[in-house]
Amino acid sequence: MLTPKDRLHNILKGNKVDRPPCICPGGMMNMIIEDVMDITGVTWPSAHTNAQMMADLTEGVYENKGFENFGVPFCMTVEAEAMGAKVYMGTKVNEPRVIEYPIESVADYTKLQYINVNEGRAKVVLDAIKILKEKNKEVPIIANLTGPISLASSLMEPITFYKQLRKKPKEAHEFMEFVTKNLITFGRAQLEAGADVLTISDPSGTGELLGPKMFREFAVPYLNEIINSFKDIKDKGTIIHICGRLKSIYDELNTLNSDAISFDSITSATKVVENVTNKAIMGNISTFALENNTPEKLKNISNICLHNGVDILSPACGIGPRTKLENIQAIVETAKRYKK
Amino acid sequence: MELKEKLLKELCSCVVDMEDERVEDVAKEYIENNFDGYEGIKDGLAVGMEEAGRLYEEEEYYIPELLICSDAMYAGIDILKSNIKGDSAKEKYKAVVGVVEGDTHDIGKNLFKIMLETAGFEVYDLGRDVPSIEFINKAKEVGANLIGLSTLMTTTMENMEEVIELLKEQNIREDIIVMVGGGAISQSYANKIGADGYAREASKAAKLAKELVQNLKKLKSA
Repeated sequence: MLTPKDRLHNILKGNKVDRPPCICPGGMMNMIIEDVMDITGVTWPSAHTNAQMMADLTEGVYENKGFENFGVPFCMTVEAEAMGAKVYMGTKVNEPRVIEYPIESVADYTKLQYINVNEGRAKVVLDAIKILKEKNKEVPIIANLTGPISLASSLMEPITFYKQLRKKPKEAHEFMEFVTKNLITFGRAQLEAGADVLTISDPSGTGELLGPKMFREFAVPYLNEIINSFKDIKDKGTIIHICGRLKSIYDELNTLNSDAISFDSITSATKVVENVTNKAIMGNISTFALENNTPEKLKNISNICLHNGVDILSPACGIGPRTKLENIQAIVETAKRYKK
Repeated sequence: MELKEKLLKELCSCVVDMEDERVEDVAKEYIENNFDGYEGIKDGLAVGMEEAGRLYEEEEYYIPELLICSDAMYAGIDILKSNIKGDSAKEKYKAVVGVVEGDTHDIGKNLFKIMLETAGFEVYDLGRDVPSIEFINKAKEVGANLIGLSTLMTTTMENMEEVIELLKEQNIREDIIVMVGGGAISQSYANKIGADGYAREASKAAKLAKELVQNLKKLKSA
């Protein structure tokens, strides 16, 4: 029988496997719930700033028959904070969030700090990955990056940012290039620390917000620049998560160089399977359903997702921390029993 | 073509075509000819914004375009409001809008606000990451007809229910329309927590807002 790590690796490389894995990557696609905090005795917000706690918490999800992966961190503010944004660490059931932007215009990007992976929460994340790696479990460690558009719009007022993509395209590209360089540094450090897979989630860089033309101009090249920069690190997988409706950008998704694509529950998995032909399809159980339905109902929803052709079963977004453990166990169980 | 009509058309096209700098010159010329500012907003700028909203629904325009159109509209309003005559400003409905506590994504809320304003609402924007009680306090202070709550995140949806509960506690739930929206929200969630209205698109939400407030007024005067 395949280990969870081998199974995910094979799926990402386009090989046949015994059955689909069920994962939730972490980062913006948070995988941590209150039930597991109570079982492990490790809670938010402390776990955001302590490597051992971060490792224990994500391990707790797997050990309690949750998702078949480890995934750190649990938010999308690590990079923004390292570059100068002020972050509020949230509560036990609320994720950290940016509360003060360091710059006011795309042209101000030279005032930003370059991510230093040897300090702050960037280091905490790397240390957590090393702790998990040392345990040498058969479980894939998934590291996470905030997507370039989402990071850019966490460093300045998003409304101004979106307008300046149109009004100051030259400076906006320079800013995006700077943001991308920082992400490559942090992403590479996470892979070198021992992560098996890297997920890039770009909830603010969607076709629905930007439209296909701007998605092609401002999202695709930078996402690909990041993915391509890791090609020399062997045996690593990559996943890109895009929020919102995808119908306007199917063509563009085929030009992304990641091994897998993950997407929102408002987009039909059948349509993505049909239209995106060159990568593994991951998704797309509604996180609302995951939090508010019964385990029985969730088994049905999971089976529908799998019948629709997803290669990797997973929530369509970060899960709410109030989601019950038994609900997560139900979807993992469904993937384990699934036969094509 | 009559000068006034020509300028109204130009105000409209400045908004649609995202000419947020030229709109000021047109608005100034309009005022210099002593035309009514309210009509300039209603028959010029708002028409342009409606057209922009239509282009958005048709997926010609996306968020960046819509935001620049609304900048042009506001730049025009700033100048035109100096010449609003007599009682042309009819009864205005009042709305309090904001993103619930725990979420800082406010694009949806901003679009809703813009569309409410073009539908004739006076809008009090509480911004993002707003504690539930602040919606109640502001609504009471200004005598709001409507509260609009937005969130993009599953994790903060429960705070919408909390606002509705607070309205009940204060015995003013019946007086105020509550609308909810945002990425995480669906019609079934709106029904579940007892909100009065939900719509996926900001422009449709604003139309619905007006209907709901008008219905409530009729109901109360009946």
